[in-house]
Amino acid sequence: MISDSDNIGIALRMKGVSKKYPGTLAVDSVDFEARVGEVHALMGENGAGKSTLMKILAGSFNDYTGSIFIGQKEVKLHSPSMARAYGIGMIYQELSLARPISIAENLLIGRLPRKYGFWLDRNAMVQQACRLCDRVGLDLDPLQTIEEISHHQSQLVEIAKVLGSNPCVLVMDEPTSALSREDVGRLFGIIRQLKNRGITIIYISHHLPEVFEIADRVTIMRDGQIIDTKPINEVTPPMVVQMMVGQAIDEFYVQRRPNIGETVLDVHNLTRKGFFHNVSFHARKGEILGVAGLTGAGRTEMARSMCGLDPLDSGTIEVAGKQLQQHSYSTAMEHGMLYLSEDRKTDGLFLRLSVKQNMVSAIIDRHTRCGIYSSRHENAKTTELIRKLDIITSSTSADVSNLSGGNQQKVLLGKWIAADPTILVLDEPSRGVDIKAKMKIHKAIIELADNGRAIVLISSDLPELVGLSDRVVVMRDGHLISEMQKDRLSEESVLLAMNGEPG
Amino acid sequence: MRPADKATSLSRLAAIYDSAGIYLVGLLLLIAGTFVSGEFLTPKNLMNILNAVSLLGIAAAGMAFVTYSGNMADLSIPSIMAFSGIISVAALPLGLAPALVLGVSAGMLIGAMNGFVVGRFNANPILWTLAVAFFMEGFMRFTWSNTQVYPDIEPGTAGAAFIGIFRLSIGPLPLIVVVMVLMFVTCHLVLTRTRFGIESKLVGSSKAAAKTTGINVPRVVLMDFLAAAFCASIAGIFLTSMNKLGVFYLGKGYDFKSVTAVVIGGMMLSGGRGNMLGVFGGVLVIGLLANIMTFIGINTFQQNIVTGAIFIAVVGLHQYQLRKRGKDYA
Repeated sequence: MISDSDNIGIALRMKGVSKKYPGTLAVDSVDFEARVGEVHALMGENGAGKSTLMKILAGSFNDYTGSIFIGQKEVKLHSPSMARAYGIGMIYQELSLARPISIAENLLIGRLPRKYGFWLDRNAMVQQACRLCDRVGLDLDPLQTIEEISHHQSQLVEIAKVLGSNPCVLVMDEPTSALSREDVGRLFGIIRQLKNRGITIIYISHHLPEVFEIADRVTIMRDGQIIDTKPINEVTPPMVVQMMVGQAIDEFYVQRRPNIGETVLDVHNLTRKGFFHNVSFHARKGEILGVAGLTGAGRTEMARSMCGLDPLDSGTIEVAGKQLQQHSYSTAMEHGMLYLSEDRKTDGLFLRLSVKQNMVSAIIDRHTRCGIYSSRHENAKTTELIRKLDIITSSTSADVSNLSGGNQQKVLLGKWIAADPTILVLDEPSRGVDIKAKMKIHKAIIELADNGRAIVLISSDLPELVGLSDRVVVMRDGHLISEMQKDRLSEESVLLAMNGEPG
Repeated sequence: MRPADKATSLSRLAAIYDSAGIYLVGLLLLIAGTFVSGEFLTPKNLMNILNAVSLLGIAAAGMAFVTYSGNMADLSIPSIMAFSGIISVAALPLGLAPALVLGVSAGMLIGAMNGFVVGRFNANPILWTLAVAFFMEGFMRFTWSNTQVYPDIEPGTAGAAFIGIFRLSIGPLPLIVVVMVLMFVTCHLVLTRTRFGIESKLVGSSKAAAKTTGINVPRVVLMDFLAAAFCASIAGIFLTSMNKLGVFYLGKGYDFKSVTAVVIGGMMLSGGRGNMLGVFGGVLVIGLLANIMTFIGINTFQQNIVTGAIFIAVVGLHQYQLRKRGKDYA
């Protein structure tokens, strides 16, 4: 379809675009163009500048430099409404829908149909909403609320909402991160339709197979600059990875010989009604225990309840032979069981504080005598962890929000390494993180296990789960359905087990 | 000026302002004051300014805890001030010391309630403390039949000693000025050197992250409101001593004035940023400004307009700065 690509017009062109954050040049005189009706993948490690570049496009900054053309016209994208008016639509990982109100109202927000100039025209609203839903192949009652529909359906509603403003360029930032394989297929069908209608799609993703399936061209960014733009059929996945990383990567998962000791975590019949039921498992010193499952299988819910962050209806938890008497996070922490949150932005990091303040936030108690806090350890500890995890930051006192996603994730892990846990529950420790950072995080996890900690690893990234785990328990629909030893672990076997099929 | 230039100069302004800039503003006001009146830069006038802002300073030091921990403002501070004063006066027959202890405890009782409800149940701090202020006004008017409570000021009684508190001096320094400075020093040390202070910063930066870090968020919030109530009670006792009577409306206006001092002192309403020295600067600047305006002949109402306008400008500058850093969530 794009064989005679030269005849296809340019939908978007950025010339010499730069954006500076305090201390870093996040986007460095980038020239980028996307054609009408193409799916243009934008790839790069976290911190390469993709997100910032797209935020510029979305009108999030009024102080970028360089020029942007939509079609032939030069435009200034200094506010989100300006960007929208010029036909730029954005779909982020996090949805922008209001959960307690109906699909129709979400879709038509800001332009709800009225009669007599004031009253809501309910019939017209439902009709228009249905029409928008049709465009993404969504067959739902538009008067249902977002709370009532599933995550992938909400994502389609989000797309329908953005399409409602008739964009000519649609940016999708990791749209598949929370979708099951089936839903991804459906999403790709819709992307192809949009493309046929002449909409330009800029597709940001870390998933190589997805990019090779859906994209027409791919642009690779590194360190704020564009490395290259290629038609997808002229590159191979290893070539792309090499351009992203800047060096060839060889062995990803290190082979290790786990030194497994006695059981330190033993849980029996954990139940939180409606979330998970009768979950029992154990974890041993020096062991990495993987928890596999599809989205919605109840893994995160189980982990949060186990650590005392969420309620628990019944069940017992034993840490190092001692049963936890109280169900609270502070009790779990006293026993050395820590939980690394799956969402670093909302409840993992203190985004407005510095790297140092984040790193030492979990060990305040330890450095307090009679209520007086001593900060003497802070610099040494932070420097040590920065070196250990290879965190790229201008200084220990830089705001953690100025770091790239991968480095933020390392800070989050560093905070828990500083706390010196007995049991560390890791929930998606490398979600949305680039390859180099991921390798570093994996190395740190292995080191923790080798030092005698028990690791409970929840991950949707199958290579990661299979590569790191010594043993895997599988959850499905809130139940723990099977356990797999190291010798039986492969991506295929775990995937089958997650889907409830005998492996 | 191109938009880009304007943007950078504005952000530079914001950056300078953040780092001790409030003292620069204070210095500029000092210089400006000398042009306004020859009597401005006399030790007597400067001491007057300090004396005049002391009550505000004590209340603002407490308010800073609430703002710092991400709870914006405690609007019940005026009622805490009035209540602690009334209780102290009412308890004077028991002796001066018991009266003061009871007065402060009464104020802290309100603080405890605020802190408990906001910390444990995540109530909106502004609305909750506004409701408490409303309730307390009704309660005080009802209990004391809408009248003022007078201490017995016969010489030699506890009442006379109570009235004297505001008028005491230590050497050349009025007691209240000394108390304010000591309060600020103590509060600064508490915020920077104690576990409570560090945890307040973390809670103010992100309650959700503080929770998963293992911080007892409800307890920290409770203590922040207690600190605010403690300071407000002290201020309330001085205010009552100054007025020689206790009544429900004493303390009126100290809610907004304290938040203004806190915010122009560089603490952001979104929490976790700023420090006590800045708040002290903010208090001094408000005092200097009021003094200069009085010299020029601007009346109280017009002064309120100026204070309000400054508050709006500073909050706007903070907001601009946060957006500039791409931190819309702040």
